[in-house]
Amino acid sequence: MATVEITNIEKYYGGYHALNDINVDIADGEFVVLVGPSGCGKSTLLQMIAGLETITGGELRIGGDVVNYLPPKQRDIAMVFQNYALYPHMTVGQNMGFSLRIRRDPADEIKAKVERAAKILNLDQLLDRFPRELSGGQRQRVAMGRAIVREPQVFLFDEPLSNLDAKLRLSMRTEIKELHQRLKTTTIYVTHDQDEAMTMADRIVVMNTGVVSQIGAPLDLYDRPANTFVAGFIGSPAMNFMDGTIQGGKFQAANGSSWALPSDAKVTEGQRCTFGVRPEFVEAGGDVAAKVIVTEPTGSETQIVADMGGEHFTCLFNERIAAQPGDTLKIGADPEKCHVFDIETGLRL
Amino acid sequence: MQSEPLDPGLRKPWNFVLLYKYLVLGFVTLLIIAPLITTALGGFKSAADLRTNPFGLPTVWHWNQYTDILLGIDYWRYMGNSMLISAISVFVTLLCSTLAAFTFAHVKFFGKEFIVGYLMVGLLFPVATAILPLFVKVRDMGLLNTYWGVILPTSAFSLGMSILLMRNMFEKLPRELLSAALVDGCGYIRFFWHITLPLSRPILATVGIIAFVASWNQYVLPLILLNSEERYPWPLGIMEYQGEFTTDWHLILAFVTLTVIPAIVVFLATQKYIVAGLTAGAVKG
Repeated sequence: MATVEITNIEKYYGGYHALNDINVDIADGEFVVLVGPSGCGKSTLLQMIAGLETITGGELRIGGDVVNYLPPKQRDIAMVFQNYALYPHMTVGQNMGFSLRIRRDPADEIKAKVERAAKILNLDQLLDRFPRELSGGQRQRVAMGRAIVREPQVFLFDEPLSNLDAKLRLSMRTEIKELHQRLKTTTIYVTHDQDEAMTMADRIVVMNTGVVSQIGAPLDLYDRPANTFVAGFIGSPAMNFMDGTIQGGKFQAANGSSWALPSDAKVTEGQRCTFGVRPEFVEAGGDVAAKVIVTEPTGSETQIVADMGGEHFTCLFNERIAAQPGDTLKIGADPEKCHVFDIETGLRL
Repeated sequence: MQSEPLDPGLRKPWNFVLLYKYLVLGFVTLLIIAPLITTALGGFKSAADLRTNPFGLPTVWHWNQYTDILLGIDYWRYMGNSMLISAISVFVTLLCSTLAAFTFAHVKFFGKEFIVGYLMVGLLFPVATAILPLFVKVRDMGLLNTYWGVILPTSAFSLGMSILLMRNMFEKLPRELLSAALVDGCGYIRFFWHITLPLSRPILATVGIIAFVASWNQYVLPLILLNSEERYPWPLGIMEYQGEFTTDWHLILAFVTLTVIPAIVVFLATQKYIVAGLTAGAVKG
């Protein structure tokens, strides 16, 4: 177990600036999720931590030691890959014990460790099978087994669940979290799925176009997003945004609606800004009118996409609302649960 | 469970596609088998019989022509020489081409594409044009009339094709396998030995067979580079049956038939992997 300190990390591919001044400190035993859209640099960062990509600038410490120039095998990390990367010509047992065999551990020790890991992951019946004889979920468990037999300082997961179907993803999510609670090894987990990030992480690092947008606990990011990108990325369905100006202590949107401001918003009269409302905090019975376009009942909740001055506006109600397309809905929102951002910089006001 | 056709009357009386396939395959098989059989049968005929009846069965079966060759010392010497030259050539070719192909597939370095291109040019290089400079070079190295004098040029000529085939195969291995192996504690050499080579058996077998057959059938290079009959491989051994004015064709046919056998044995031994290579794609990471 170890801390991971990422200080002023930079990555250039030729002239392309892939990662720009990344700073993240990960505590011992913490589960940190790097999340962001494709191409935001999260996988590159993980590969740099693993030692599979060179670091152009900055400093990377694992367990207090600078590891910038160490090859992967000397960093004492284990990694789980998106497409499992199991060795096809080796059995499950051989796959899991491979790193120990390379390390020249005694055979009986390897056997004991592999069996222990197999037991944890319910793979004990499959040790003599080849990867091609396993299902996707089993393969992913073998990949995790390969990582845990090493007893590394840090686990790295590179989108490990994206190749699985939705149901399996949910159960594997629980398994990984359970495993972390049991082993308490520092874990860095990359995903593009904000649901995965929210449910698994102790802390989330939201990345966008090579920079860190915000770092924080899942609910902090949800409650107090630092900018419009994080606000739009975290939470599903995504937050509704409206551009407008502050008039008479209220937000006057360009689409014609008017909203009360949260008490902590630092805005001035006449300032142009972006106003954000999460669909799940929209309440029926306010004074903003919206014309229903689509109603999507799921049983437990009702999602309604409405038209507000030519813009789509999504609402999510916990109760069942019998609105038909074309109906006009009166809605509102608790101002303390709304967000105001600078229209130019996108930063929270 | 076997399913019965719903209405036997509707079934097509002839499957023409299948028939066509069998006809074509049969024709191709005939093209390959006929000369082999003619050769093998020719070895049983007398010289006169061969002249008057080149394609039919022998009127009298001269078994002694085969047994004489098999019991004589020359045949085994030629075969031994051929086997030695071919085996070492295959080994040298596989060793150099796997290492080179692996480097080209996985290591980034300046001038890589140029060197690959240079090697590929070797594919276009006919042996015949190289004979004189090759002879001079081999002579200068003091390797004239030695096995290595034949083995090294033979391997060199196989390298271009071998590297091309292997590099393609190595590049097709999922990139994550390398990453996983590096994280698991391998360096490039261990990755090559523990992961790349075991996964490349089909291509090793294919390249090995190509190199073996090329070396086995080599005529011009040994002819130029070997002087003493003691070191002749089998294609030069045939000359024993060629006089200034006559050629014992029936003995040559018997001899050739016997020399084909090792090549067939090697093919059968590696066939499993070659077929596996054709059906690959099973490497799914």
